[in-house]
Amino acid sequence: MSVTVPNSELGVSQELDLLRAANTRLVSIFGSADDNRELYVHYLIDVDGREYRMFRSRVTGPIPSATPITPSAAWYERELHDQYGIECLGHPDPRPLLFHENWPGNIHPMIDYASHVPWAEGQYQFLQVQGAGVCEVPVGPIHAGIIEPGHFRFSVVGDTVLHLELRHFYTHKGAEKLFENTPVMDGVMIAESVSGDNCFSHAVAYCQAIESAFGISVPPRAQALRLIGLELERMIAHIADVGALCGDVGFSVPAAYTARIKETLLRASTRFFGTRFWRGMAVPGGVTRDFSSAEASEFARIATAAAREFGEMARLILHTSSVQSRFESTGILTAEVTRQLGVVGPVARASGIRLDVRCDHPSGRYRDINVDVPLYKYGDVLARARIRIDETAISMRLIDETLKQLPAGSVLVPVPLSGNVEACSAVESPRGELLYWVRIRDGKIARCHIKSPSFQNWPALPLAMPGNIIADFPLINKSFNLSYSGCDR
Amino acid sequence: MIGDAVERSLRSSQVLIPVSELLSNAAGSRMPDVQSDLLTDEIARRVVAACPTSALKVDEAAGRTHLILNYGECIACSRCVAVGNGAFRYAESVARCGVQKEALIRRWEIQSRAEVVQDEPLLSQVAEEIRSLVGQALNIRQVDAGSCNGCEAEIVALTNPYYDLERFGIHFVASPKHADMLLVTGPVTRNMAAALKYSYDAVPSPKLVVAVGACGCSGGIFGGSHVVVGPVDAVIPVDGYIPGCPPTPSMLLAGIVHVLRPLLLPSRRRRS
Repeated sequence: MSVTVPNSELGVSQELDLLRAANTRLVSIFGSADDNRELYVHYLIDVDGREYRMFRSRVTGPIPSATPITPSAAWYERELHDQYGIECLGHPDPRPLLFHENWPGNIHPMIDYASHVPWAEGQYQFLQVQGAGVCEVPVGPIHAGIIEPGHFRFSVVGDTVLHLELRHFYTHKGAEKLFENTPVMDGVMIAESVSGDNCFSHAVAYCQAIESAFGISVPPRAQALRLIGLELERMIAHIADVGALCGDVGFSVPAAYTARIKETLLRASTRFFGTRFWRGMAVPGGVTRDFSSAEASEFARIATAAAREFGEMARLILHTSSVQSRFESTGILTAEVTRQLGVVGPVARASGIRLDVRCDHPSGRYRDINVDVPLYKYGDVLARARIRIDETAISMRLIDETLKQLPAGSVLVPVPLSGNVEACSAVESPRGELLYWVRIRDGKIARCHIKSPSFQNWPALPLAMPGNIIADFPLINKSFNLSYSGCDR
Repeated sequence: MIGDAVERSLRSSQVLIPVSELLSNAAGSRMPDVQSDLLTDEIARRVVAACPTSALKVDEAAGRTHLILNYGECIACSRCVAVGNGAFRYAESVARCGVQKEALIRRWEIQSRAEVVQDEPLLSQVAEEIRSLVGQALNIRQVDAGSCNGCEAEIVALTNPYYDLERFGIHFVASPKHADMLLVTGPVTRNMAAALKYSYDAVPSPKLVVAVGACGCSGGIFGGSHVVVGPVDAVIPVDGYIPGCPPTPSMLLAGIVHVLRPLLLPSRRRRS
């Protein structure tokens, strides 16, 4: 069934009907409060894979839950309740999400201002798996390694995992609340600190939302430099991920070798832009640094050499039988689950779901180019590794083509900063669809919602685990490579 | 195919950075440094207005005006460099890594255009500290108490073939019970405060704690959040601070080594 979607305020139950249609995908659900402290719920929907549509409804009491219609709504509605106290009737799992036992359940920080929140106590209820020989294995929040914190509760029989329950939000920093009343030009610094390894994607998504709200377009040269930064970030992330997958199967030589290739790219960024991770590069109105054509060709030479080295190493990795036997048919995420949970990014593309913001909702330079989107259907660790290897080569090609036709001109235009406006904008971050929605009042952010690919994809990880052995969990988790901070925000 | 991967790796050129070039190298960190002879009252006020945190302040006492730069609060946004008219530039090295909290603060008297206290640890001293570490061992347990993972990315980089932390006998371990030092990142969130405290308690004494990054030192950009408890020292005692957003691998190494100084000095005396 396909529906024609109007662009208006419909009332929650009619908005939920839209989610039943085959041509719609839930992108995000979030709340807002207007100047008179009236509450609204926003549904952001992707129609026909081509257009974002936003619906919002006034909320005066409990609303019907969207989760029975699309399970991808589950975490959004739990977050909506934590932040705004909006109750979703019929939600199968209304436990708090952002807040742990230490948080008093009656305080909803987006509507209640409390300078001191008292410490509460309680006991979190994990789902209990019962039966002969079932054991629980708790892991985290602190893991063995230099990794972010999160809790995993496995129910196992012997080595085999029956069920995995996630408990996250250990790094919840209240970023969305922190945006409130921040001057528009300062907001980018918060965006850069939402998920540090994808800081440039976050910065660009934020800046594009601001530019879209004020109706300004950034100069072509700035758009090209942003594309280079986004694709470089994707290359760095994918190269590191493939290396880490090798590390997790005890193949340490390629793990060290890819770490070296990644460092080469970080050092090239330092040399030409003075920043290892492109922090401070994107600002509303364009970018802050430019480079000469001689520097551009030197940068292209370094990046091309790094991509070639990685490609050769990747071939060796994929042809190693011990790697194949660990990667193949491990941690399968089916296409059906992927679709139902609204999974995005490389994880979706490894399970046969073709979603890529660069093609579906292009912005900036991406409007003028074609991006190849690799697709694998097996949904196992091997498919997720292959997607990353293929995309690294594609990103390099995009960087190379962009550098060869770098437009001339300035890289920064002033942003007017006046008026009460709102808009959203998305980029394809290394982990998938990353969207910022902003509302601006008098040059300050009144509300900023971050739809992060990690928040969307984490609930899918437990569904790739049943039937696998617990020793394969680090490998499967790494093949998803989700950000904890990006999810917890 | 395993053999091919190993052979390829063996054939590749050496990329290890020598100790002399490693020292607190801040390239790419975007941390500011002050060219004090260009500092004016007007520039000082301009950079203070541009600073999004309270890392830069003007302090007026007894007719003298001081510009204060607190590296612990600096999120390396580089706005001061943009508006500082040459008086602010990107630091090539930041020697204040692993120091006490007060030592993160620098101070210039604007009238005389001079830095007030010049107690920066000398780079040659840091070099000596690193050398004296060779042949010893240090086990580090890294704890992310709420970081954005930017600091983690740089800590992981310490183990790559450019920095190769293991050459100094420094290892990352899986359990706090195996650790001599906790390397803690992030503003401590409400949800991580208890886990951080448990980890600290699990480290056998004597133990060292290093707070990493603007968030770990001061709370950084998240300092005012309703779900953040505070910087690392709001929850556990801290022996040294490494500023930066994020600090570069070289700054991290210098900071880790500097914190060891009280332990290294006796051993150096023994040798001589």
